[in-house]
Amino acid sequence: MDIIVCVKQVPDVDDIKWTKENNLDRSMMLSKINKYDDWALNWALNIKSKFKDVKITVLSMGPKPACDILNYALAKGCDRAILLCDKMFAASDTLATSKILARAIEKYIPNYNIILTGQMAQDGDTAQVPVSLSQLLNIVDITNAIEIVNADKNIAIVKQKLEDKVNIYEARTPCLIAIKEEYPNVFYPKIEGYIKAQNKGIEEYCFEDLELQREDVGIIGSPTIVYKAFRPEINKKTTEIDKDCSDFILELVQRVEIE
Amino acid sequence: MKKLAIYVEKEGNTLIDASYELISKACELKAFAKSSKDMEIEVTAVLVSSAVDENDVKKAFLAGADNFILIKNDDFQVFNQMKYSSAFLSYFHENYHDYILFPATPTGRMIAPRVTTVLNTGLVADCTGLEFIIKDGLLKLASTRPTFGAELMATILSKQSPECATIRPKTFKADFRNTKIGTYKEFPCSIENNFDLILLDSTKDEAQKINFDTAKVIFSAGYGLYDGKDNIYIEKLYQITQKLNIGFALTRKLVDLGIKSSQYQIGQTGMTATPELYVAFGISGTIQHIAGMKNSKIIIAINNDENAEIFKYSDYKIVTDARAVIDDLFEKTGAYNQ
Repeated sequence: MDIIVCVKQVPDVDDIKWTKENNLDRSMMLSKINKYDDWALNWALNIKSKFKDVKITVLSMGPKPACDILNYALAKGCDRAILLCDKMFAASDTLATSKILARAIEKYIPNYNIILTGQMAQDGDTAQVPVSLSQLLNIVDITNAIEIVNADKNIAIVKQKLEDKVNIYEARTPCLIAIKEEYPNVFYPKIEGYIKAQNKGIEEYCFEDLELQREDVGIIGSPTIVYKAFRPEINKKTTEIDKDCSDFILELVQRVEIE
Repeated sequence: MKKLAIYVEKEGNTLIDASYELISKACELKAFAKSSKDMEIEVTAVLVSSAVDENDVKKAFLAGADNFILIKNDDFQVFNQMKYSSAFLSYFHENYHDYILFPATPTGRMIAPRVTTVLNTGLVADCTGLEFIIKDGLLKLASTRPTFGAELMATILSKQSPECATIRPKTFKADFRNTKIGTYKEFPCSIENNFDLILLDSTKDEAQKINFDTAKVIFSAGYGLYDGKDNIYIEKLYQITQKLNIGFALTRKLVDLGIKSSQYQIGQTGMTATPELYVAFGISGTIQHIAGMKNSKIIIAINNDENAEIFKYSDYKIVTDARAVIDDLFEKTGAYNQ
């Protein structure tokens, strides 16, 4: 059984640094694996721990430093790592990114059974790539997945949570599952894992390898453009009131409730 | 003339509110196009379903739709993203639209990327702002969305047509004051049977869904009330809200710590609430939380850190230990009698 896990390196959104001009200071921010993708890795490793002959390929698009998260994934127990790296890929939006990933999968990992991704990336928050990727590969997707109940070569049974509903789906493979919930048992990379990872190595492919069109990738291939970026503005008049405020609150509650 | 389509959704037998919100917003855009470029825009609500309630169609017209299209097949009783998106596309291929708006509901977000990927066009995710701008003489849809955990807002345009966005529910208000009755049409749609995905079971989540929509008042608990043990103040606050029959919410941090289930969570990744009165107890005001409550009419914040971010968004600021206020409220409301 072949599993692909798509991972992304993201800046630490809990530790955002700003330049004096109010721009994101990416050079000052630590990069790490997108949290949801790490959860997807753990779900994949769980399947591997239960069944024989499970092979996990971890796939990322990004600059060279993204090797860090691929090595991390190999050290955790993944079998193969692929980095899609080319300056032509820079500034790809969700559509261009999906096209690049889809092509790489078709070319280098064609016999997959299941693709696992995080539900979204912590920096972009769009949650669009998993869906767009499924459409390009013409496969079924189950997003908002909170549990992979069972998965084998042919069938995946997945719990999905949507606002107030829990659905259980049976999907025929190949399919894509986008993970929204942490796997209860975390797999930690071990030192031996990192040593093994060095031997496994990372395969690297560029724009030419993928035989894509220029107009499909990067800034040219991205139909969306950022017109402006700004920090949310606040202009509230705030009145400070006395510490002994419970009556004030209760009066307001009453007034609002009666209205 | 330009055409704007709104992908509307049903839950159970009725259209969800987000449908009307988007229709009314589209009418605002339409008015802008008329006044700034003397451009006519036709607004069409498009529903993929087996049936639609007549009253919902009327409501869509009142909200401002020029047309209502039902893409119809008995098989659409059960949601299936592959079937729904290909049904929408088969309609779209015969009826081109320049702009498509989708509600950023979980199901809307399963459909929209499939549609735009096939159309090879852009999609802006989960927007909280939408306007037309005139750029190089053209009317462009400018969609604004929070990014980087809502630390940054980005306004995004599409180079390609159709221009598409998913819009977070409750971002805009529905306005049922349109008087012109629109046109209703059905678009019968045949689809291939798709056995790749079978819904085995669907259950309502454990407890009832918290309805923040109807709550006029919400009391909300933050990490400042967390004590790592029995969290008595969070529980007391909860009891006060039960006594007063008002809404109770908490921040993501408390949900992550397992205090209560995520259905109580307000914020970027939780629910959005716009009550008349929002009282924040011991909430520091991460951007992620602010995103879910900043449109409340009156905001009161209680925090012992006078520099807490939340105060910037508050109408009333109270610098004190929120626990003392909770004790007071607990006494005064008689919540301890429960």
